[in-house]
Amino acid sequence: MRTAVGVLVLASLAALFALPSVLSAYYITLVLPAVAYAIALLGFNLLFGYTGLLSFGHALYVAVGAYGAAVLSSKLGIKSFELVLLLSGAAAVAAAIPVALLSVRYEKIFFGILTLAFGMLFHSFLFKFYDITGGDTGIRVLRPSLFGNEFKDLDKTAFLVGPFYYYCVGLLAVLGFVMWRIVHSPFGLHLVASRENRRKSEYLGVRVRFFRLIAFSISAFYCAVGGAILAINTGQADPELAYWTHSGELVFMAVLGGFANFFGPLVGAFTFIFLKSELMGITQFWRFWLGLTLIVIVVLFPRGLVGLGQDLWTRLHRQ
Amino acid sequence: MNSHRRKLLQAIGGTGVVAAASPYLSFPAFAQNTPIRVGVIAPKAGIAGTIGECGLRGTMFAVERINATGGIAGRKVELIVEEETNPKDSIERLRKLVLQDKVDCVQGIVSSGVSLAMGAVAEEMKALLIFWDGTTQDGVKETMASPRYVFRSTDNECEAVMASLLAIKYWKGKFKTIAGINPDYSYGRNNFAAFQALLKKFGVEHKVVADQWPKVGTTDLNSHVAALKAAKPDLVFSSLLFADLPIFMRTAHGAGLMDGGTKFVFPAAGFQHTALKKSFTPEGMIFGHNTLYFDHKDASPLQKDFVKMYVDKYKDYPHWEADRAYFAMQVFKAGVEAAQKAKNAWPGKEDIISAMEGVKVQSLGGPGHMRKDHIAEQTFYQGLTTHKNGYDFPTLGTVDTMYSDRIQKPPGGDFWKWIETAQIKL
Repeated sequence: MRTAVGVLVLASLAALFALPSVLSAYYITLVLPAVAYAIALLGFNLLFGYTGLLSFGHALYVAVGAYGAAVLSSKLGIKSFELVLLLSGAAAVAAAIPVALLSVRYEKIFFGILTLAFGMLFHSFLFKFYDITGGDTGIRVLRPSLFGNEFKDLDKTAFLVGPFYYYCVGLLAVLGFVMWRIVHSPFGLHLVASRENRRKSEYLGVRVRFFRLIAFSISAFYCAVGGAILAINTGQADPELAYWTHSGELVFMAVLGGFANFFGPLVGAFTFIFLKSELMGITQFWRFWLGLTLIVIVVLFPRGLVGLGQDLWTRLHRQ
Repeated sequence: MNSHRRKLLQAIGGTGVVAAASPYLSFPAFAQNTPIRVGVIAPKAGIAGTIGECGLRGTMFAVERINATGGIAGRKVELIVEEETNPKDSIERLRKLVLQDKVDCVQGIVSSGVSLAMGAVAEEMKALLIFWDGTTQDGVKETMASPRYVFRSTDNECEAVMASLLAIKYWKGKFKTIAGINPDYSYGRNNFAAFQALLKKFGVEHKVVADQWPKVGTTDLNSHVAALKAAKPDLVFSSLLFADLPIFMRTAHGAGLMDGGTKFVFPAAGFQHTALKKSFTPEGMIFGHNTLYFDHKDASPLQKDFVKMYVDKYKDYPHWEADRAYFAMQVFKAGVEAAQKAKNAWPGKEDIISAMEGVKVQSLGGPGHMRKDHIAEQTFYQGLTTHKNGYDFPTLGTVDTMYSDRIQKPPGGDFWKWIETAQIKL
C-alpha cells in the first residue's frame, strides 16, 4: 500500500512539474494558489485532522504570511523569497503561541470560537490601523528573488508561471514530506491519541496541551508559507485574507478533499480552486453551487473526495 | 442574467466565412473582421451588486449602440463579463480575461481595494485597463504615479469636494457643530477629512461633535444614530453609499434625528436614490448624483434615450455607475478610432493607449475627457432634494453642475495641498 501511495505521490509531483508545458499560462496562475492552499492545509489539517481541533480562524496566519511578504518586500526592501518565508513563518509562529496558549485549553466549539475571535481581532487590526497596514487597501507585495536570482528579463506572468511556479511546487514537495514525517512520528501519534481520548492519553503520559501548542505553531507556520505565496501571486496583501470567510474556505477545502486522509486537504485545495474558478465563469450563482457541493460532500461522502476514491478503489479491487 | 455573458456578435460575413477565407487575406484584414473583445469585471452580489449591475447595463447600452453603427473602427464588440469579488479572486478574473480570453481591453471595478491591487497587476501584465470607479487613493496620494496601461475614473473624493462646496454655498453661517457618519474605510475617511479641510479653507468655524465609522454594509445603525442624536449637531455629513444608506435614513428618521432642523449632506446618495423613499427622506438635503442625474431637465438626447431604455427595460432609474461604464467604453472606442485614423491601419495596443490620452467624449451625463495622466475628467451633478416630483423618492430641486477640473486635484498634485492652495470657487 505504501509503495502505491509513493508511486501516486511521485506521479502527481511529476504531473505538477509538467503542467506548464501542457496548460496555458492562465491555468498555471490558478495552480499557484492551489499549491499555496495545499501547503496551508497541510498545516491546518495537522490541527484539524490529526489533533481533532477545528480552527475557524486560521486565515489569520495566512494573512500574517501575506502581510509579512508585503512588509518585507515593500517597506523593508527584502527581496529574498527564502528570507520572506522564514521571517513570515516565524512571525506566524510568534502570533500563534499566545493564541494557542489560551485556545488549546479548550476543545470543540469553544476552541473554534476562540480561534475565530482571534482571527477577527487581527482582521480588525489590519482594517483599522491605516498607517501600519494600509487599511482596506492593504500593502503591495513586490516580486521576490529566488535563490538570489531576480529574473529581471521575465515579466510578472512569465515569472509566476515559470521559476516561481517550479519553486512553489518544490516547496510543496519538501513541506509535504516534512509533514508526512511529523504525522507519522511519535509526536504525530501523540496528537492522534489525544484526539481519540484526551483523558486516557493524559493518563498514559501524553502532554496534551504542550503537544497541541506545538501542533498549532507548526500549522501557523505552514499557513504563513501558503499566505506568502498567495500574496506574491496576487501582488497585494489585503484584510480580506484574515476575514472569517477565508477561514471558512480553509475548512471547506479540508472537508471537500477529506480531512481524515493525509492527502485529502491537498486534493480539496486543487478541486476547490478549479471548481470555484469554473463556476464563477459559468454562473453568477456560483456561491450557491459551491454551498450545494459542500452539503452533498458532507451528507453523502463525509470522508471527502479522497474517501470516495478509496471506496471506489476497494470496490473495484474486490470485483 | 447570465454570468458569462458572451455576446458573439458576428462580424460582417460571419467569422466562419472569414476563417475559411483567412489564407487569402492579409492579417490586418482578418483582424478587422473579427470582433474586438472587451472584458468587464463588475460586482454582481453583495453590497455592491446593484451598482455593478447598473454599470453593466451602461456597458451593454454602449455596445449595442456601437455595434448598431458599425462597431469600433469597423469591428463589432464582444463582451466577456466576469465577477468582481475580493482583490485576490478579481485578479484571477483579470488574468483569465487577458491570458485565456485574450481580450483587447478590460473595463470595470467598483471597489477601491480591488482597483489598487488590480492596477499594479495590469501594469505588470501590460493589460489595457479602464476603471469605472474604485479610485479612492490611499490618503489621496497616487499609488500609481505614472501608469501606462491603466486609466482611472475621476478621484472618488470629487463628490465630497462638490458636496462640501454646496454645503458652504447654501448653509454658511447656519451651522456651527458638525457630525459625520461615514463608512469605515479610506473612502469614508478621506471624504470626511476633505469636508473639514474645505470648511477650514473657506473660514467656516465649526466643531466636530461626533464622528461615527460603521463598517461598510452594516445593517444595524441604531447605536450610531443614537450617538449622533445625543451630539445634537447642526449638520451631518455622510458618505454612506451602499445598502447601509437607506438603513441609516430609515433609522435616523425613526429616531427623530431629522426633526430638529439638522442639515444633511450625502455626497454619494445617488447610488441609492430609488431606495431613499420620501416617507423617510426629507427635502432640503444635499444629494450627490455624481456623473449622472437621471432626471435632469437639460439632459442630452443621449441621456434621455438611455434613461427611457433603462426605465422601459429594467423598471428602474439609473445612477452614475452606468455613466462611468458608458464613458469607459467611449474612451476606448475614441482611442481605437483615433489611432486607426492616424496609422491608417489597425493600431496596436501602444498606439491605442497613446490615442486615449487627452481624448474627449460625450458620455451619458455630459462631456468628459481622459487626461494625459490617465485620470478622467467628467461632469458632476448635485443639489438640494425636493419631493415635488412624480416619483416615490426625492429628486433634486436645484441642480448644481460642475466639471471635475474644479473639484479634482490637477495632474501630479497632492490632494490636501491642492485644497489648501487652489482657487476653488463656490
